[in-house]
Amino acid sequence: MEKKEAPKKPDWLKVTYDQKKVDQMNQLLSGLKLNTVCAEANCPNLGECFGSGTASFIILGPNCTRACRFCDIPHGHPKPVDLMEPYRVAEATKRLGLSHVVVTSVDRDDLPDLGADQFVKTINEIRRLNPDTTIEVLTPDFQGHEDCLDKVIAAKPDVFNHNMETVRSITPKVRHRATYDTSLKVLKYVKQHAPKTTFVKTGIMLGLGETDEEVYQLMDDLRAIDVDFLTIGQYVQPGPKNYRLREWVPMKRYATYYREARKRGFRFVASSPLVRSSYKAKEELEAVYGK
Amino acid sequence: MLKEVHMPKLSPKSDDYFFGEWIKKPGEAVKQGDILFEVETDKVISQVESEENGVLKEQKVATGDTTKVGDLVATIEVSDS
Repeated sequence: MEKKEAPKKPDWLKVTYDQKKVDQMNQLLSGLKLNTVCAEANCPNLGECFGSGTASFIILGPNCTRACRFCDIPHGHPKPVDLMEPYRVAEATKRLGLSHVVVTSVDRDDLPDLGADQFVKTINEIRRLNPDTTIEVLTPDFQGHEDCLDKVIAAKPDVFNHNMETVRSITPKVRHRATYDTSLKVLKYVKQHAPKTTFVKTGIMLGLGETDEEVYQLMDDLRAIDVDFLTIGQYVQPGPKNYRLREWVPMKRYATYYREARKRGFRFVASSPLVRSSYKAKEELEAVYGK
Repeated sequence: MLKEVHMPKLSPKSDDYFFGEWIKKPGEAVKQGDILFEVETDKVISQVESEENGVLKEQKVATGDTTKVGDLVATIEVSDS
């Protein structure tokens, strides 16, 4: 039984939440009936990102067909696919003047294409209305189906992100119907089949009980398949029913992991407690393009 | 003039928060943008800023109290300007 109390929140979790700015963002998005992963996952950076006009869109929601124990997105019966959603994401990107947009989705194991077509349509619509905006997708594992991956690859997103979430030993404890090896396979396939202009990215959470050796093994596994970008951030337990937080990982370890990851050859690494896979995502492209 | 400070909405998903700590004491001068108090929501510690210039008169809640959005938290004697 897991009865231990959660450790006390550290000072770096202190954020200001400016409701006025959040209201402004919501107003800007009002009428578009869009979900942001920022609000759905109750992201700690929401105040900052909304304040600076940045948002990440979550399509095919609001309900997810999986129930991963770390996640705050509602699990439930999926809704019919909204055919106008790609257009509305593109319109929101335009209204917000985003130079880089992140599109993610809930898992849609109920759909024959597992949601791949909606990603393609969304990428195409964003590009039609915002030709200069770079596009990052953060996809589910599509159960490892290559035909689904092929569709999204063919739409040529600038960044193809799929999160490993955690090290091998903890994966079955926190992920639902997703495996470490399927996620590695997805990243490998994308790297092998996507154009050279598409960067491949993944992210992990710390504080779930992982060891240094396991994190380094994960880095080695990722570099063996030539993954370009890695994000490392602190897991924050969304509620009492979620996977219990084991540790607020000290800042020093984030710095060590950063150095170790760079040493292994990742082209861009973000390693800090409040890093989320889409947080300041455009900075990684600016870093590799040398802008 | 005495102004009431109510608990703002600090999380898109929840309206119940644990009151954290007071940063300003009664009798202390406050300016717009000064952090008044901290509140623990599910994922973060939110620092709530003052919208008024004046003097903090009364604290209506204490550390560990469960508060709801809209609850009266404090009063501020607003300076005339």
